[in-house]
Amino acid sequence: MKQAKKRNSWGSRLGVIMAVAGSAVGLGNFLRFPAKAASNGGGAFMIPYFTALLLLGIPLMWIEWTLGRYGGGFEHGTAPGIFHSLWQKNRFIKYFGTIGIFGPLVIFIYYTYIESWTLAYSFFAITGKYSALTDQASMKSFLSAFQGLEKNRYFNGLGVAYSFFLITFIANIWVIYYGIKGGIERLCKWAMPLLFIFALVLMARVLTLGAPDALKPDWNVNNGFGFLWNPDFSALKSAKVWLEAAGQIFFTLSVGIGVILTYASYLSKGDDVVLSGLTAAGTNELAEVILGASIIIPAAFVFFGPSDIQSIARSGVFNLGFVTMPLVLNKLPLSQILGFFWFALLFLAGITSSVSLAQPAVAFLEDEFEINRKKAVSIFGIASFLLCQPAIFFLGRGVVDELDFWGGTFFLVVFATIETILFAWVFGMEKAWDEIHKGADMRVPRVYKFIIKYITPAFLFIILGMWFWQEWLPIIFMKNVSPADRPFVFWTRLGLALIFVILVVLVRIAWKRKKAAEERLR
Amino acid sequence: MKPEGFVFLFISWGLILGLITFCLIKVFSKKELK
Repeated sequence: MKQAKKRNSWGSRLGVIMAVAGSAVGLGNFLRFPAKAASNGGGAFMIPYFTALLLLGIPLMWIEWTLGRYGGGFEHGTAPGIFHSLWQKNRFIKYFGTIGIFGPLVIFIYYTYIESWTLAYSFFAITGKYSALTDQASMKSFLSAFQGLEKNRYFNGLGVAYSFFLITFIANIWVIYYGIKGGIERLCKWAMPLLFIFALVLMARVLTLGAPDALKPDWNVNNGFGFLWNPDFSALKSAKVWLEAAGQIFFTLSVGIGVILTYASYLSKGDDVVLSGLTAAGTNELAEVILGASIIIPAAFVFFGPSDIQSIARSGVFNLGFVTMPLVLNKLPLSQILGFFWFALLFLAGITSSVSLAQPAVAFLEDEFEINRKKAVSIFGIASFLLCQPAIFFLGRGVVDELDFWGGTFFLVVFATIETILFAWVFGMEKAWDEIHKGADMRVPRVYKFIIKYITPAFLFIILGMWFWQEWLPIIFMKNVSPADRPFVFWTRLGLALIFVILVVLVRIAWKRKKAAEERLR
Repeated sequence: MKPEGFVFLFISWGLILGLITFCLIKVFSKKELK
């Protein structure tokens, strides 16, 4: 295995596939997808879902894997350098690439905190801390107190939550510290199979639930699956459903963030990206459609019934994961072990994603400033630790929603659009097609030449336009933010703008240093 | 679950399991990273 100079590289093919799949598989596979599918036409949702997978998700995967490997050949592991490599005549394109560092960083600084909740809850599950709770109100209260939003007999402050955050944060930095092969790949090679084992056990438990309440024979697992899979074809007439499907594909595959670009940059020029990219996408879909859809919604249906399941499905990711599911598991034999499996599954899904979110910033420092890994990780660690604090101490004030909107939604779609246009139109589809197939272990179906050039960009522009008009404008104008929370949202926004400007300045400095170094050599 | 629900479930599972099986067989039969 050849290393590109001193840059990190992956140790094995399975390793890079597990790492990308780990980046993609997250809480959304087990919480967001089942709820979205159930609320948007059930089985019929799979029609727009698979359409979006074929026309948007898989093309974007291939684009990002290819661009990443291409940029890595020039020792650029992040979007500023990668975009510059694609369009060297354009002095400004590298600044658009800043989004590929900004987005992952912004998501990291709240995602890590949420990930720490899953670690905490896996500890609470195995120790039985919440096992006496039997209703939604008390479980919600438990969560609220843990988060520091209220005080009760379970928690009287943020001490426990903060401790678990520290453990989680240190674990992330520890993994990144050991690099691509020694850290991330090593983590994902055991975390991903273990995640699948936990998920299979939970799925098997759900499939064998039957109808626990003899007085309510309709509250059974078959009907629970029916709630998710019975098709409502009328939903397909709604543009909203098609948008939701496209959005779900986007978020589930972690495209448009910049992490796949960075991961792929550690491949060699002759390494396949077609089969590897498709395998990573397939692994994510396995976790989502087969495992994720077979756990929480059917289980919740069996214990809460057809009336309550509607509101449960709409109650949001946190409610599903930290309130509904533990309540469901509490009703079963071996509830503490099952609860541990559930939250450990979410923690593994989380940490394999969060390390990928940390890597672009570290790679940027290593590649563009030639800082060694230890120093780069230290700088990232200090900066991100400080940036994580607002999400912890101002939870419930709109800070996390704001970070998630800009880092995890808005810039994702913008970035995906930019990279697709760059790939297909600036770099050019002929060159792009050749680049995809360098070292390829399978041919991309020829129709994708048309899809990547015309359909995927069109799809992205439509999503961008519709989301901007229907959903984003109200968010940008803080329409649903209470007056008390507006200052928090405003300062978060200002902080994000500052982070973006700092990153742009760093890109500028890096390029000026390179230019000066080149001139000294002449 | 209605019959149509089963249809959608089995088709979805079939497509994904087919895809992942195809991919993994090919991955394990092909070359390692360079």
